[in-house]
Amino acid sequence: MASNPKAKQPKILILATLAGGYAGADSTGQAHADYPANTYILPIMCPVMFPPEFFVRAFERGIDGIIIMYSGTDSPYKVEADGTAALVNSSYALMKERGIDIRRLRLAAICTVCVKPFLKEVNQMVELLQGIGFVKDELAAPVTASA
Amino acid sequence: MENLHVDALVLGGGIAGMQAALDLADQGFQVALLEREPSIGGKMITLSKVFPTLDCCSCITTPKMSAVAHHPNIHLLTYCEMQSVAETGSGFRLAVVQKPRYVDVNKCTGCRKCEYECPVTLPSPFDRGLGAYRAIRVPFSTAVPQTAVLDIENCILCGKCEKVCAAGAVDFTQRAETFEIQATTLVVASGFELTPLNAKKEYGGETLQNVIDPLMMERFLAPTGPYGRVLRPGDGKEPTSIAYVQCAGSRDQTLGVEYCSRVCCMYAIKQAMLISGALPMADITIYYMDIRTFGKGYEQFYQNAQAMGVEFVRGKVAAIREDDEQNPVVKVELTEEGRIIERTFDLVVLSLGMVPTAGADGILSLPLGEDKFIAIPAPNANPCETARPGIFVTGTAMGPMDIVDSIITAGSVASAASAYIREHQKETAYA
Amino acid sequence: MPDKQKAARKAASPDKEEVRVGVYTCHCGGNISHVVQCERVAKALGKMPDVVVARTDPSFCSDAGQAIIEQDIQELGINRVVIGACAPSLHEQTFRNTVTRAGLNPYLYHHVGIREQDSWVHDGDPEGATEKAVRLMAAGLAKARLLTPLEPIRLGAEKGALVIGGGVAGLRAALDIAHQGIRVTLVEKSPFLGGRMAQLESIFPTDEEPRQLLHALIEQAAAHPSITILTGAEVTAVSGYVGNFNLQVTQHERGLSEELAEALLAACEQEAPDNFNYGLTRRKVVYRPYPGCYPSTPAVDWEHYDGRPIQVDGKAVVLKDKPQVHALTVGAIVLATGFNPYEPRQGEYGYGEITEVVTLPQLIRILAQVPQGEPLIWNGHPVRDVALIHCVGSREIEGVHTPQDDGQVNNYCSRVCCTASLHTALELRRRFPEINLYELYQDIRTYGRGHEEIYNQAQSAMVHFLRYRGEKQPEVAAAPPGDTHPALVRVVDTLTYGEEIEVPVDLVVLAVGMMPSPIDALVDMLKVSRGNDRFLLEVHPKLRPVEMAVRGIVLAGTAQGPMNIQESLSAASAAAAKVAALLGQGRVELPPFVARVDESKCDGTGACVEACQEEGAIALQTFQENGHEVRRAVVTPANCTGCGACVGVCPKRAIDVQAWTLAQYEAMVDALAMDIPAFAEAEK
Ligand SMILES: Cc1cc2nc3c(=O)[nH]c(=O)nc-3n(C[C@H](O)[C@H](O)[C@H](O)COP(=O)(O)OP(=O)(O)OC[C@H]3O[C@@H](n4cnc5c(N)ncnc54)[C@H](O)[C@@H]3O)c2cc1C
Ligand SMILES: Cc1cc2nc3c(=O)[nH]c(=O)nc-3n(C[C@H](O)[C@H](O)[C@H](O)COP(=O)(O)OP(=O)(O)OC[C@H]3O[C@@H](n4cnc5c(N)ncnc54)[C@H](O)[C@@H]3O)c2cc1C
Ligand code: SF4
Ligand code: SF4
Repeated sequence: MASNPKAKQPKILILATLAGGYAGADSTGQAHADYPANTYILPIMCPVMFPPEFFVRAFERGIDGIIIMYSGTDSPYKVEADGTAALVNSSYALMKERGIDIRRLRLAAICTVCVKPFLKEVNQMVELLQGIGFVKDELAAPVTASA
Repeated sequence: MENLHVDALVLGGGIAGMQAALDLADQGFQVALLEREPSIGGKMITLSKVFPTLDCCSCITTPKMSAVAHHPNIHLLTYCEMQSVAETGSGFRLAVVQKPRYVDVNKCTGCRKCEYECPVTLPSPFDRGLGAYRAIRVPFSTAVPQTAVLDIENCILCGKCEKVCAAGAVDFTQRAETFEIQATTLVVASGFELTPLNAKKEYGGETLQNVIDPLMMERFLAPTGPYGRVLRPGDGKEPTSIAYVQCAGSRDQTLGVEYCSRVCCMYAIKQAMLISGALPMADITIYYMDIRTFGKGYEQFYQNAQAMGVEFVRGKVAAIREDDEQNPVVKVELTEEGRIIERTFDLVVLSLGMVPTAGADGILSLPLGEDKFIAIPAPNANPCETARPGIFVTGTAMGPMDIVDSIITAGSVASAASAYIREHQKETAYA
Repeated sequence: MPDKQKAARKAASPDKEEVRVGVYTCHCGGNISHVVQCERVAKALGKMPDVVVARTDPSFCSDAGQAIIEQDIQELGINRVVIGACAPSLHEQTFRNTVTRAGLNPYLYHHVGIREQDSWVHDGDPEGATEKAVRLMAAGLAKARLLTPLEPIRLGAEKGALVIGGGVAGLRAALDIAHQGIRVTLVEKSPFLGGRMAQLESIFPTDEEPRQLLHALIEQAAAHPSITILTGAEVTAVSGYVGNFNLQVTQHERGLSEELAEALLAACEQEAPDNFNYGLTRRKVVYRPYPGCYPSTPAVDWEHYDGRPIQVDGKAVVLKDKPQVHALTVGAIVLATGFNPYEPRQGEYGYGEITEVVTLPQLIRILAQVPQGEPLIWNGHPVRDVALIHCVGSREIEGVHTPQDDGQVNNYCSRVCCTASLHTALELRRRFPEINLYELYQDIRTYGRGHEEIYNQAQSAMVHFLRYRGEKQPEVAAAPPGDTHPALVRVVDTLTYGEEIEVPVDLVVLAVGMMPSPIDALVDMLKVSRGNDRFLLEVHPKLRPVEMAVRGIVLAGTAQGPMNIQESLSAASAAAAKVAALLGQGRVELPPFVARVDESKCDGTGACVEACQEEGAIALQTFQENGHEVRRAVVTPANCTGCGACVGVCPKRAIDVQAWTLAQYEAMVDALAMDIPAFAEAEK
C-alpha cells in the first residue's frame, strides 16, 4: 500500500511493552511482513504507568487510534495483566465522557513471537479508522447525549 | 614493539577469536588477540546477511570488532604473524613479527586521502576480486583498526600518498619488527578456507567464467559489496536462472574431504532467498543429496525457502560445461527419477566446503585429525582441548561450523582456558 | 582554552545547560536506506529545535561510525544523542558504551528502531516509511530533550549460582562455574545425576562408554568443595533479580538410612515401571537405576510407592517422604533441564498398538539387556529384519502431521537422531551380523565431526537406505496372521524412483526427536520465554546465544534445543563463562529504570503504595521538615521493577519511572501527532 503524500493518513499509536509487543513488532520486522506505515510504535515497560487522561490527551492531540500491546499474563510485572485491563476500562469511561469512540483504543496481548496476531491487530485498527475517520472530526462533532 | 605478558593469547580474529577474547577479557583476564590480516573480522565480516535470522552481517560483526578494539583487557595486534613458540615453565613464549604497514598506526586517522590519491588499482581480496582497491588503503570500510596499509609488492613508490597525508603517517622506511608475547594459555581460532574452486575438475571451477564460489556470491549480495547487486562476472548480465551445486567440495572421498562442511546447505538456502528478494524473477535451483538444516530454526528456514519458490532437486551433478554464450550447462543425474539431464543456467554457484587454515597448527605442533582439522582427543569430555596441555581451540579451526556454533565454542573455550589459567597460575605461584 | 575543550567541558556537566542534540540516522548497510531515505530524515530532523547536527552513515555501529558520534560529543558539545537504527535490543548497549567513552552519561542517549519496525515492514512504501522514520525520530528527539543523566543501580551480587538440572550439561556448567571460585548449588529433580546420557550405552562419534565419562564429571563435581548437590529436588519458589535471586528448593527425603538401604532394597517387593528403561521393564520401588549410579544410595520412587511396610530383619519399615525446604540466595541461574525423547502418539507408526514398534531410546535399552554374543529376541521371536524410521516427531509439516495438544507440530530437526540411529544400526550390525537393516529417512544429517564416517560405514555395512518424502510418510501395519514377519513397513522410496516397497520386519524402531523437559512451573516462576519450538529461547542466536532475556539466567544444553553431548558441553561451558563474567566482580549493575519520587510534589497520599505489587518497592515514610511532620513515598530501587503502577495513579504526578517518564511520553505523542513543517518544506 503506497501512501499518497497528499491524502493525510490517520495516525495509529502503538504502545508496546518491551517484553511483549515491542519484541513482537521486531519479530514481525525480521519476518519482513508488510503492514501500513502510519503506525508508530513506542516502547513501554508496562501500560499501567499511564493514567486514562494520557490516552484522551493523545486523541485530542490528533492520534486517531491507539493499540496497547502488552504481555498479558506472561508479563514480568505482577500488575500488568489485571492492572492494564482495569486501566483500559477506566479509559473507556473517560473516552465516552469526551465523546471519543472507544474502539479507537484497543488492548491486545502480543508476545515476542506473535507475528500473525501483531499484523491482525494493526490491520484491524487500520480498517476501523478507514471506517470511522479522523479523531479530530469526532471531537469537533457535538457530544451526543447518550455517550 | 614492546614485549607483552598476558594470561591468554588468542590466535585469529574471526568471530570465534573475537568472542573468545571478549569472554576471557570480561572475566578480568589480560588477553592478546593476534590477527595476521590488517583487520580483524575474519570471513564473517565479508558475508551479506546471516542465517537463520537474516540479520545484516556487519550489524552483528562490527560492534563485536569495536568491542574488541575498546576492551581495556584486550591487546589487539593486527598484521602480526606468529613465528615460533616455546614452552616455558609458566606457559608459552611466542616470537611474533609485526609486519610493516608502511603507515604509522599512531598517526593514521583513517581519512583515506592516501587511498584516493594512489594510482595503483588492484583487485580487492575482500571483495573476492570483484571490486578494486589501491596499493595503499584502509582494508575495507568497516575495518578495525581504521588504519591504512600499504602493499609494498604492488607499490610503484610514486610517493603521492606520503605527500597527501596530513598526519604524516606514511612511512616507507618501516620494517618488520619482532617482539615477544608470554602467555599462560593459547587459544587457536585460525578459522577456515573454502575448498578450492577447481578441486573437482568436472565442475569447471576457475575455467568457466560463470561458475563461482559462494563467498563471491556473498559479496554480490552484501549491501557493502562492489556492485550492490547480483550479476554474472563473465559479462555483467543480470542472471535469471541460477543453480547451486551442493557438496561441491565436501562428502567426497576423491577430494580428501570426506566430511560434511555443515554450513553449505544453509548458506545456499540463505543466498537463494536473498537472490529471490533481489531478483524476484530469477529461477533458483539447488541440486543436493541431503539437505542438512539441523540447527535451531533452520528447518523452518528451509521450509520458508521452499515456500518462496526455491526449487530443491535431488540430484548428483556429474559435470558442468559451457555453451557458446558462456552459460554453464549442468549435467545432472536426477536420483528421484533415474534420468540424466542437461540444463542451462546463467550462473552456477558451487557450494564449496571448509578446510582448516593452515599454518598455526604447524608452528604449535598440534596433532591433526584425519580430516586435517586440529585433533580434539576427548570431544565428549573436553570439547575444545587440543592434544597439547594449555592449548585450546575454537570456531572453525576445530571443524566446520556456522557462526552460532562458533560463538558457542568461543564461550566454551573461554571457560576451559580460564580454568586452566587459574589452576596454572596457582601452581606456578607456589612453585 | 580552545573551543574544542570548552565544548567538551560543557558536555560533561549537562544539568541546566543548553540542550544540544546530535541525531544520527543509520543506513544499516542498506537495510534501512534501501527503503527509508535517510538523507531526507536527517535533513528534516536537522531543522528541528535543539538539533545541532544530524548525520547519516552506512553503519553507525561500526568502529568508524561510533567514532563520528564520539567526535561530535567531544567537539560539538553534543549532550543528547538520538540514533535511528536497528532494534534497540541489538545495539542500544553498543551505543550506550559509545557515548560513555566520549564522556557523556549513557542515559542521555535514545535509540529509535527504524529497521525492524520501519524499513523491513514497509518495503513497498518508501514514502510512507520515510515519513514514519521522521516522525519516530522526532518523537525520539522530543524524548531526548527531556532526558536526565542517570546512574545504574549498583548492587552487591551473591557469588553463588544455581544450576537446575544434573545431566551432562548441568554438571559441566556447575564444574566450570566452581572453577572460577563461585559457589554452586546443583538441583536435580530425579534422585540420581546424569540425565539422559546415563541411559545410552555407547556414544557417537567416539564409541565411548557414556557412564564412564559422566562419572568422571560427577566425581569431580561431588568432590569440589564449592559445589552442593541436591538430588530429588526442585525449585519451588523464586523471587529477586540478577545478583540476588532468592529461591526455595524442595527436596524429597531419600527415605533410606545408610545402614538399612541395602537391606530395604533387597527386601522391597513392590514394583513399578522402570523409567530408566523407558518403561520396558519393571523394577522395585526402592531402586538404583543402574550399578554405579550417583548417589550410590538407593532411592525411593515416591510416586509409585504405595506406603506398605517393607519387612527387614523382622521389622516392618514404612518409608516416609518428608520433603525438606532449602532457602538459597544466588547471583545467577543456569537452566540445564534437558530434553525428553518425543513420545509417539498412540497408533503413530503403530506405536502402542503393535508390540514390534519401539523407539530408538528404547532399543538402546533393549540392546543393553541382551548379553554380548547372544541373539536378539523380541516378543518371543528372533529378530531378522529391522526398520529404523527417521524424523519421528521431528520435521513435521503443518497440515500433514497431526498436531500435538497445543495445536503445534514439531517442525524442527532434532539433529542427533540421524547419527544416533546410524550409530545404533552399526551396533546391530556388529552384534547380529545376520540381521537385515533398513533405514527409512528423508535426509541423512550426519553433519558433525566424525559423523559422516558413521554414515559411510553404515553404507558399507549393507544397511539398506530407503528415502521417503515428508509429505508421504511410511506406514507400519501388523502383518496378517501366518505371515513370516509380525509387521510390515510400506514406503514410497524415492531412491528407486518412487517405487512402493513393502518390507516385512520383526522390529520397527522410531528415531524419535527431542522435546524440552516439561518445565512449565519453572518457566512461570522465572518469567523466561520459550520459542515456537517450545525450547527455552536465547536473547539472540549470535549476539547472546546462551543468555535469556531475564538478566542473570543462562542456558545450558538441550533445554535450549536439540544438541549432542559435545554441543551440550560447549553450551554449558559458554554459559559458565557468562556467569563467571557476571558474578566475578561480586556486584552487578542494574539499569536505573525504577520509580523516583519528586519530593517537591509528593504529599503522601499513598495511592502509589497501594498500587504497587512488588514487595518492598515503595513505602510511605515520615520525615521531620522545618519542625513539621511530612509523609512521603520512598522507593527502594533494588525492589522496584519499574512497571510504573505508581505513576498512573499519582494524583500529583509526583512519581515517575526514570528515563520513561510520563512527560517524555506526552512529548513523544505530541511529536508524532504534529505536522512536520520541516519535512513538508524539504519536500518542496
Ligand atoms: C559462503 C559462506 C556463507 C556463510 N554464511 C553464514 C551465515 O549466513 N550464517 C552463519 O552462521 N555462518 C555462515 N557461514 C559460516 C561462517 O563464515 C563461519 O562459521 C565463521 O566465519 C567462522 O569463524 P572463525 O572465526 O572460526 O573463522 P574465520 O572467519 O576464518 O577467522 C579466522 C581468523 O584467523 C586469522 N588467522 C588464521 N590463521 C592465523 C594465524 N596463523 N595467525 C593469526 N591469525 C590467523 C584469519 O586471518 C581470520 O581472520 C558462511 C560460510 C561461507 C563460506
Ligand atoms: C536416542 C538418543 C541417542 C543419543 N546418542 C548420543 C550419542 O551417541 N552421542 C551424543 O553426543 N549424543 C547423543 N544423544 C544426545 C544426548 O543424549 C544429549 O545431548 C545429552 O544427554 C543432553 O544433556 P542435557 O544435560 O542437556 O540434558 P539431560 O540429559 O536431559 O539432563 C537434564 C537433567 O535435568 C533434570 N531436570 C529436568 N527438569 C528439571 C527441573 N525442573 N528441576 C531439576 N532438574 C530437572 C533431568 O532430570 C535431567 O537429569 C542421544 C540422544 C538420544 C535421544
Ligand atoms: S552442509 Fe549440505 S552441502 Fe554442505 S557438505 Fe553437508 S550436506 Fe553437503
Ligand atoms: S537428525 Fe535426521 S532423523 Fe533427526 S530430525 Fe533431523 S533429519 Fe530427522
